[in-house]
Amino acid sequence: MSTATLADVSDKRPTQSEWAVETHGLTKRFGENVALNGVELLVPRGCAFGYLGPNGAGKTTLIRVLLGLTHADAGSMSLLGYDVPRHRAAALARVGAIVDEPRFHGHLTGRQNLQILAAAREPAARDRIVPALERVGILHRADDRVSKYSMGMRQRLGVAACLLGDPELLILDEPMNGLDPAGMHEMRDMILSLVAEGRTVVLSSHLLDEVERTCDAVAIVDRGNIIRQGPISELLAGASLQLQVECSDPDRARGLLDATTIGAGIQVGPGGLGIGLPAGTPRDVIAEINRVLVEGGISVYRLQEIQASLEAWFLSVTSRLGASE
Amino acid sequence: MTTVIDVDAPVPALAPAGGPADHRGSWIPNGGMIATRILELRKRRGLMIALALVTIGIPTVFMVIRLLMHAFAPKTYGPAGGYDIYTNLVSGVLYVFGFIVAATLGATAGSSDLTDGMFRHLVVTGRSRLALYLARIPAGLAIIVPLVAAGFTLVCIVCVFAAPTRLEFNGVTVPANLSRPGLETWAAGHPNEVICQFGVRITPSTPDGSTIGNVTNSLCGGPPGAPVTQPPQAQITEVARLIAGMNYSDYSRHFLYPSNSLMIKSGLWLELEAAIGFIVGLGLGSLIGQRTVTVVLMIVLEIILTPIFSRAHIPHLLNLQRGVVGVAMAHLTPGGLPVIGGGGGGPGGGGPGGNPALIPETITVSVCVIVAWLVVWSALGAWRMVTRDA
Repeated sequence: MSTATLADVSDKRPTQSEWAVETHGLTKRFGENVALNGVELLVPRGCAFGYLGPNGAGKTTLIRVLLGLTHADAGSMSLLGYDVPRHRAAALARVGAIVDEPRFHGHLTGRQNLQILAAAREPAARDRIVPALERVGILHRADDRVSKYSMGMRQRLGVAACLLGDPELLILDEPMNGLDPAGMHEMRDMILSLVAEGRTVVLSSHLLDEVERTCDAVAIVDRGNIIRQGPISELLAGASLQLQVECSDPDRARGLLDATTIGAGIQVGPGGLGIGLPAGTPRDVIAEINRVLVEGGISVYRLQEIQASLEAWFLSVTSRLGASE
Repeated sequence: MTTVIDVDAPVPALAPAGGPADHRGSWIPNGGMIATRILELRKRRGLMIALALVTIGIPTVFMVIRLLMHAFAPKTYGPAGGYDIYTNLVSGVLYVFGFIVAATLGATAGSSDLTDGMFRHLVVTGRSRLALYLARIPAGLAIIVPLVAAGFTLVCIVCVFAAPTRLEFNGVTVPANLSRPGLETWAAGHPNEVICQFGVRITPSTPDGSTIGNVTNSLCGGPPGAPVTQPPQAQITEVARLIAGMNYSDYSRHFLYPSNSLMIKSGLWLELEAAIGFIVGLGLGSLIGQRTVTVVLMIVLEIILTPIFSRAHIPHLLNLQRGVVGVAMAHLTPGGLPVIGGGGGGPGGGGPGGNPALIPETITVSVCVIVAWLVVWSALGAWRMVTRDA
């Protein structure tokens, strides 16, 4: 039986990959249900990467496959340049992860739980227990039993467990769950500080606002497929353009615009006209709208470009919006 | 549509994890893993209290009650210790309960990470799952072996130091540990008790059979109509010596307290039984992933199946019966202890010279069965641990 050490396998990493996580054609089935359907995911190093999707989209399944908690049916993947599962031990030595709700031995203290996990890691991990507890802000409760911890404290303990291995890559599945607003703020700051240290953080979350504030890039997964991925700024730039027009006669203004070839989705609301334009619409079109209205005798008080939010964009590209429509 | 992310400049590399001392892919658990596994089990207060109560508490309560009863009413209640108490406690209490508590500990060790949600954290460390499994074996044994040893030591101490000072042999109080001449000399001084109560079977080949018969009839009352004549005192004494000599081999198997040899053998036998209970419980617990079901199955095996399979001679299932670990352990019962479930003492089981109540099985087969149980259940538990979705 193999007794390979990390030192043995450290030279087996083919290249210093630019991707922290790389998957190709990753597929996982549970009977008839296809949880992952040929997933192609590329997570760059040194960034906070949001991993978004509706319930049942396959987010946690992908994380579990990446971490070797379950086996993939097809496809290939690598973590930090190591082929997984071939060099799983070497890869996971540099990875910290929370998957689903963080659960621990309730009859042990937080410190004792971390001692168990540190013992399974490299010898130096034991020395990182106190700094990790301090960093997540539960050092003062480290000697209390975990059964007395709140959900938020367990989340923090889960993050502390991730930090034991001094990881290059952290995979956090819903780390904001159970945290109060101040805790969420602290968690966000901590994630950003981890990224500032050169680590990569993959953040799976339903809290789109938090992801937008924390992450540099995102991937959207739906029904087992990655349907979009990239830097948030680029993705939102590709979202439809929203204009809000406050004018003297919104109904007549709508009629004027309907008669043009602008082809915009126009709605009259309490704030005036809402105009949706396709992504990539030239800015000249905005000026043309203003000209048509003014020449038609409409007084335009305000014409504002509304910044697309990640939430609106997320809903526009996932099946949830389609279902609700 | 998939958009490839534009990556900025490479990030500074962090210090690599691991190192020459990090044998994370190895299947051999390190000392820290074993130590923390002991910690995890030891901190289960309810379980530890239950284990201590059963292995130490039950014998203690039994001994204390007997000590008190003997102290307050020595004529009614015998001493707390002694050979008989020892054999009953070792084979009746420590053996059965030791197995069950060891199995409970094993089932807990095999399933607690799963039920508590820690298994996932451990797998994510990259540590070999086989090493995670194997770390539990020395950890659990480090707990159960001392517990059983403590209970057993307590029994030994009380049985030796609170043993009766005189031996009851066929209803006669006799000094213990006499040699054959010593017993014959003692018999000469107590001819009536020896002749009437020791008993002897007279056959045509028995030397001086007629003399013994006559003396016995005259002193103890013979069959109706038999002539009763008072034999001379010298003849009575001689017959008492003869009867004592004939009973010596039986007498020599009665002890005031267990011998050192028996205690050592019994201790090792109990520890082996506890180790089997733990390792089988661990494997089954890991395989099933639940503690309660595992414990119930182990109790059924020990309390119900083993006694049945030990004694019922089912012709077509004889080899299956031999394959039950409890049957194999019964065949390894140290000489001087009663075989589990009753049926008298003696090693060797139902083989030639063994216990006729047990199904026949050689010692070699018994050892093979025990080794097979340890290996197979460990392999099954480890296999499930390695292949299980976390």
